[in-house]
Amino acid sequence: MRKVALLVSLVAVCLLILTLQTRGYGARARDAFAIVTTPISAGLAKASRATFGLWTTYLDWKNVRVENYRLREEVQQLRVHALRVTETDEENGRLRRLLALQEHLPLTTLSGEIIAREWGGWIRSLTVNRGRSDNVPRLTAVISPDGLVGRIVDVRPGASIVQVLTDPASTVGAHVARTRTPGIVEGDPRGTIRFKFMARDGAAIQVGDALVTAGQGGVFPRGIPIGVVRSIDDRGGALFHYAELTAAVDFARVDEVLLVTDGSQRDVTAFFPTVGR
Amino acid sequence: MKALLALTVVGGSVAHATLTPMISVAGVTPDLPLIMVILLALRRGPEFGCVAGFVTGLLQDATGGGLIGVQALTKGLIGFGIGVAGGRLRVSQPLVQVPGLVVLTIAEGLARFALLQIFRFPAPFGELMAYVVLPQALCNGFIGAAVVLSLAWAQSFRGRFEGEQS
Repeated sequence: MRKVALLVSLVAVCLLILTLQTRGYGARARDAFAIVTTPISAGLAKASRATFGLWTTYLDWKNVRVENYRLREEVQQLRVHALRVTETDEENGRLRRLLALQEHLPLTTLSGEIIAREWGGWIRSLTVNRGRSDNVPRLTAVISPDGLVGRIVDVRPGASIVQVLTDPASTVGAHVARTRTPGIVEGDPRGTIRFKFMARDGAAIQVGDALVTAGQGGVFPRGIPIGVVRSIDDRGGALFHYAELTAAVDFARVDEVLLVTDGSQRDVTAFFPTVGR
Repeated sequence: MKALLALTVVGGSVAHATLTPMISVAGVTPDLPLIMVILLALRRGPEFGCVAGFVTGLLQDATGGGLIGVQALTKGLIGFGIGVAGGRLRVSQPLVQVPGLVVLTIAEGLARFALLQIFRFPAPFGELMAYVVLPQALCNGFIGAAVVLSLAWAQSFRGRFEGEQS
């Protein structure tokens, strides 16, 4: 009975409220309810915003991590790509220079690629991918657009060994481009080159002077750049003096070379514009 | 306990307007206060169900901006009815409760529509059922299933915990 009474009263209250609203008393009733419900709604909205804000922050953080990882990978790939492009660009530049030299030189040359390096103190040599099958003669001069690299000391099937100027056993007849002071460029166990000249001939040599091949031994054409005088070792009354040289070619980085296959002794100074600078 | 129940009823109905839009799926929001009223009425009986339904409905009406008293009446009736049915029928199983929630949501929708017809509510019945009442009933079913299972799990956990202590 009590249950039914409760139900009937609630239904009656509801109908009364509804009737009052249809008679124009709705606004007051709503205002009264709003006093109770608005602060609760505001508090809940604030709490839910904070909670969802935290959740959104977490999701953002998670997305940022994923994105960061993806971007890192992309950057890595782009770096590799950029390196490849740079390398190809550099190789292209080097080959262009080599080709230009080959086209302009009045000598018969054969281009080759360095495929190995022996860089211990005892021997300093490069292996070039041209050998017996290319009819490469022994003692062929090996040059690059920067200057003299060395000479072929061993011809094998498919490859040849180039004795680099810095090899301790290497000697090349040379002269100072400006003064024509003759001498010999020798390799050094430290991996450098030096110019050995007679004291009476070398009084006028200065730091910065360029040295080129003399072209008298029948191996190297005349006028190929060898290096630049870095310092002069004046040995007083001794017969020979020495000049430390900076090689024209960076032997550690040379990748492409030209093999001068004819025995021409023509002066090629004009084809290496760096000589005498 | 009574204070907690009062807080649940009042807070739950106000929270409905604030929180449910955030958990809507494809524009369909569950009627959380209705789920709450039904579950409370099943456990506490028709009187509690009726009062809880009345209060939650009233607050929903007030926060929602509609005619005050419509949901109070329908939810009060649903709360009372389910409270009575809960005592006479076997409705304690989740497999009964969840479809029951769907059916009761539809019933509440129908009752509300019927009541609103007195006040010349303009929306057509078919569209209202297709786009509002039925999707909300399904949504209530899913949410109700989750709530019922959570409550069952919590009760079993509590029972196990109390058993271990004694």
